[in-house]
Amino acid sequence: MIYLDSAATSFQKPEAVSLAMEKALQSMSSPGRGGYPEAMRAADTLFECRSELAELFGAENPEQVVFTMNATHALNIAIKSLVQPGGRVVISGYEHNAVTRPLAAIKGVKTVVAAGPLFQPNMVVQAFDRCITPETSAVICNHVSNVFGFVQPVEAVGKLCRERGIPFIVDASQSAGMMPLDISVLGAAFIAMPGHKGLYGPQGTGVLICGGSMVAPLMEGGTGSVSIQQEMPDFLPDRLEAGTHNMPGISGLLEGVRFVRKNGSEEICQRERQLALRASEGLRRIPGVVVCGRRDLYAQTGVLSFLPEIMDVEEMGSELSDRSIAVRAGIHCAPLAHTTAGTLETGTVRISFSCFNTKDEVDTFLNAVDQILSKKRR
Amino acid sequence: MEQYLMITRSLTYAQRMEKTLSRAGIRTRIFRAPKELTDRGCAYAVQVSHANLNTVLTMLNGAGLGPLKIYLIRSGSYIELSNR
Repeated sequence: MIYLDSAATSFQKPEAVSLAMEKALQSMSSPGRGGYPEAMRAADTLFECRSELAELFGAENPEQVVFTMNATHALNIAIKSLVQPGGRVVISGYEHNAVTRPLAAIKGVKTVVAAGPLFQPNMVVQAFDRCITPETSAVICNHVSNVFGFVQPVEAVGKLCRERGIPFIVDASQSAGMMPLDISVLGAAFIAMPGHKGLYGPQGTGVLICGGSMVAPLMEGGTGSVSIQQEMPDFLPDRLEAGTHNMPGISGLLEGVRFVRKNGSEEICQRERQLALRASEGLRRIPGVVVCGRRDLYAQTGVLSFLPEIMDVEEMGSELSDRSIAVRAGIHCAPLAHTTAGTLETGTVRISFSCFNTKDEVDTFLNAVDQILSKKRR
Repeated sequence: MEQYLMITRSLTYAQRMEKTLSRAGIRTRIFRAPKELTDRGCAYAVQVSHANLNTVLTMLNGAGLGPLKIYLIRSGSYIELSNR
C-alpha cells in the first residue's frame, strides 16, 4: 500500500516506536501511583518524554508539557480555559472542526473569522490585524492548514497578540515535528498538537504545551498528588492529567520525538515538500486536474489538495484505494477552510507525505490518477 | 554525609529536582513520601545525600525549584528543618 494520508495520521513509524510500546506493556505500570520499580520506570519514561518535548518546543520546563489523547483534546482544554460564554474569539479562515466545534459549544460565543486568501500570509496577518479588538478573549490560528498545507504566519499573528495582550492558541496539528516551533518565541498561551502525525508516535497521543495562562481541567480525577484535596491540583501537569496515563502510547511517542530530533524538523519538512512538488508538477500535467497551490509551493508544506474536474472527489479517493493508494477525499473535517478557499461545494482530494514516502510512490500515484481520469473520459 | 528528605508537590517536580541535582553529581532517589510527613495526601520525596544542605538548596533555587518541606534523616527518624 502507498500511504499518502499522513495529515490524518502517520502510518509508517520508526521501528523503535512499536518496540517501545511493547516494552511498556511488559514492564511498566502506572506512573505517580507507587514507588515500586514498574511504577518508577513508567515515571522515568513519562518525564523523559516531557523533557524531550519541552526542548523541542521551547518550553522552559517539562511541567509545561501536558499529555492528552490527541490534538482535539488539547485544543478543547486550551479553548475552554480561555473562552467564557459570551466571549469574542478571532480565528483564521482555515480552522478545523477541532477548533470551531468547541467554540460553537460555548454559549453565546462570537467567533470572528480573520479570512485571508490561500497562500497569501501577509493578507492573513492584515485580516487578524483588523479583527483583533480589545474585547477579544482569544485568538486561534493553525500553523498549517490540514486541507491545503498552507503555512500560516503564526509568528506575525503571535506578535499582534502580544502587543495587544490577547492570549494566542496555536493548533500545530500539521506542523509539530515538521516545522520549527517555539512557544517562547511565539509567546503563545497554548500550543496543541497530536503525537501521532509528524511526531511519529502512536494514535491516542496528543500534547498541550502550556505557556503560563490559567488552565481549566476538562476532567477531574486521581493524579497521585495532593489526594486529600477535592479540587484538582493547582499546578501542571497534574491539573490537566486526571487518571492513568497511556504509557504504551507515551513510550512510543518518546521514540517518535527522538526520531524527529535526530533527523531534524526542517530536514523532514524539506523532504516532504520535495515530494509534494513532484506530485504538484505531475498533477498539473494531467488534463482535468486543478491543483490548489502555487507552482513553487510558496507557503506550503507536504500537504497538497487537488480537484479532478470530471469526477467526484470521493470517487477518485475510492478508485485510488482500489489501487492500494491511501488518500483523503472530501472536506477533511474543515468546512471553514473549504469555505474560505471556495472549495466547499466540491471538496478536494488531499495527499500528504511523511518522511517515509519515496519519489517512486509519487510516480505510481501520478500514473494511477492519469489512468483513472483517462478511463473516466472514455 | 547527611541524608535529607525533600517533600515535593508532585512527581514531575521531584523529577525536575532529581535532574538538576544529578547534573551536579549529587546522588538522589525519588520515592513515595512517608504518610506521616505529608498533610495533603499522596506526595513524592527526593532523598539527597550531601554534606551541605545550603549547597543543595542554592542549586535548586537557581533552577527555580524549592521543596515543600525538608527533613534530616537520622537513626530512622525524620527531623523537620526550616525551609530556607
